[in-house]
Amino acid sequence: MTSMVAYIGVSLVLFTLGAIGVCIRRNAIVVFMCIEMMLNAVNLAFVAFSKLQGNLDGQVAVFFVMVIAAAESAVGLAIIISVFRSIVSVETTDAAQLKW
Amino acid sequence: MELLILIVKVVVVMNVALMLASTCTWLERKGSALIQDRVGANRAGAFVESKRWYLKPALPLVRAMGWLGLINTLLCDSLKGLWKEDFVPSGASKFLHALAPIIAVLPIMLAFAVLPLAPDFTVGGITIHPRVAPIDGGLLFVLAMGSVAVYGVVIAGWTGNNKFSILGALRAAAQMISYELPMGLVFVALIIVYGTLDVYEIVEGQQSLLWGVVPKWGIVMQPVGFVVLLLAGMAETKRGPFDLPEAESELVAGYFTEYSGMKFLLFWLGEFAEIALFAFLLALLFFGGWDIPWVALPKGAWWAALVGHLVLMAKVLFFCLLQIVIRWTLPRFRYDQLMNLGWKMLLPVSILNLIVTAVCKVAA
Amino acid sequence: MSFMGFLLSAMALAAGVGVVWSRNPLYSAFCLIVNLLSMAGLYSVLDAHFLAVAQVVVYAGAIMVLVLFVLMLLNLKAESGRKLGVVRPLAAFAIGSWIVATAYPSVVDNFKKVSIHELQENLWRSEGTVRAIGEELYGRYIVQFELSSLVLLIGIVGAVMLSKRKQPAIGPRPGGLGGKA
Repeated sequence: MTSMVAYIGVSLVLFTLGAIGVCIRRNAIVVFMCIEMMLNAVNLAFVAFSKLQGNLDGQVAVFFVMVIAAAESAVGLAIIISVFRSIVSVETTDAAQLKW
Repeated sequence: MELLILIVKVVVVMNVALMLASTCTWLERKGSALIQDRVGANRAGAFVESKRWYLKPALPLVRAMGWLGLINTLLCDSLKGLWKEDFVPSGASKFLHALAPIIAVLPIMLAFAVLPLAPDFTVGGITIHPRVAPIDGGLLFVLAMGSVAVYGVVIAGWTGNNKFSILGALRAAAQMISYELPMGLVFVALIIVYGTLDVYEIVEGQQSLLWGVVPKWGIVMQPVGFVVLLLAGMAETKRGPFDLPEAESELVAGYFTEYSGMKFLLFWLGEFAEIALFAFLLALLFFGGWDIPWVALPKGAWWAALVGHLVLMAKVLFFCLLQIVIRWTLPRFRYDQLMNLGWKMLLPVSILNLIVTAVCKVAA
Repeated sequence: MSFMGFLLSAMALAAGVGVVWSRNPLYSAFCLIVNLLSMAGLYSVLDAHFLAVAQVVVYAGAIMVLVLFVLMLLNLKAESGRKLGVVRPLAAFAIGSWIVATAYPSVVDNFKKVSIHELQENLWRSEGTVRAIGEELYGRYIVQFELSSLVLLIGIVGAVMLSKRKQPAIGPRPGGLGGKA
């Protein structure tokens, strides 16, 4: 059981790293990757809890998170590309106009 | 004892993969020469002389191998690769530049771990399963390794630091992820037919006869799937009519333009290992693996396993040869034709195939 | 935590730092790939075999290839010269360690309330093989599973619509990007 606590700790640190990345990085694609990392950290926690609880509900939840992440990546990257087309930059600070 | 068996299995599987890859190299050299009405490599070692008496008996063999081009392709080429200057383009990360060919080869070698080489057999009371990793979901693992192999190409193209490399890498990445979809869907249809993801069990499921007449091979159960997988696999190996990423008339050599020496050869090794892996998949999934139609070998006997292994290898070699012949006979696609074939032909066909398979399975 | 678990966790964390730290987005992407692959290893250590393979297929095989594709397509240089300064990373580090320091004890406390004996009894059932996960997905979670396919469909349509253009210009082909979801 103590080992599960360690996995939760790893997940926590990874999640925090991702959150920090979202806050301090300006490149939209890196921000996107940090969000993916946060999702993954939560997935790890789900899997660890699933192991601890002795049922598969956590793993099923991870499966659904993966589905959402796949859809999110397709849409998110398409948004980043269309932003790049209009302002020729993917930095979040550059996309400051309310209207183009 | 367990560990010893495992180590032996790893060594054997690695050797099979590498031997097949080098056989493919030779087949490609001599085969392309035959197809193009050339002679091909036949000099290195063909006229070797020696005055030492103890070397005399070996000389005819060496000469024969040299005349066949074996020494040239297997020995001279690799030695030349080793001694060539190792060139790293300026501005590229040395680490990533060296990492790319390794990533291109490693996943292919890993994928061999789930493939069975022969039926299970018993020797001295120990049952041996001739595959390294009988993991859950073996077919998925092959698919996963195929998708990891994309990174070798992408990193190689990026560290090349020029337009040709980047274009080649972009083409390769788009092509590989596009053709992975029909490939995965064919796998799903196969999984529905045989009810398992384990490659060994799929092969075992093909041993019986359908209605007592036709062998229950994948090609009989999934003819459409076979055609789709053949096309998708040829595109995944980036060869044949699908070699857009390394189209030499437009992109020099595509993603490995800036590679030389042993790193360049590693890419070729990866490519030929991929051919061998793909031939293995076709033989195991669609042609019954070690099955000889209408002949039943006793289960568990070591000689039966040996015969099965040889039969499997014959099938694998046939598919290696088929791929090489296709590569040297068909002209290259245009890029939009390639994408159209993937997205507008193979994907709908494989989805239809999947639906029909599922309906048949439910109805049966 | 087993040795493999420790090793893979260390790899995942180091790569995670790399994602946030490196200035070149391509290096961030490579670090994230290492992170995702070591996460797949961790899943495997935790007996979630199907998820481990699915992680490699979905994240490493599809999502990250797409990200790399976009990065190489836009051909971005490292983040522009505007300096981050010292304050923002320091503040981020402080806030991050504060979050970890507050959340971790509460997690551990909650663990202590659960009886170990009760948990040990359940351990036999948590093997995440393909068959087990499939039975869950097509059994109790069938509605959610079907709905998730709708989410994917909407994702595909959205991506195609977003990358569609009125007039042709230099850029990616719409079909190449939108289709893979």
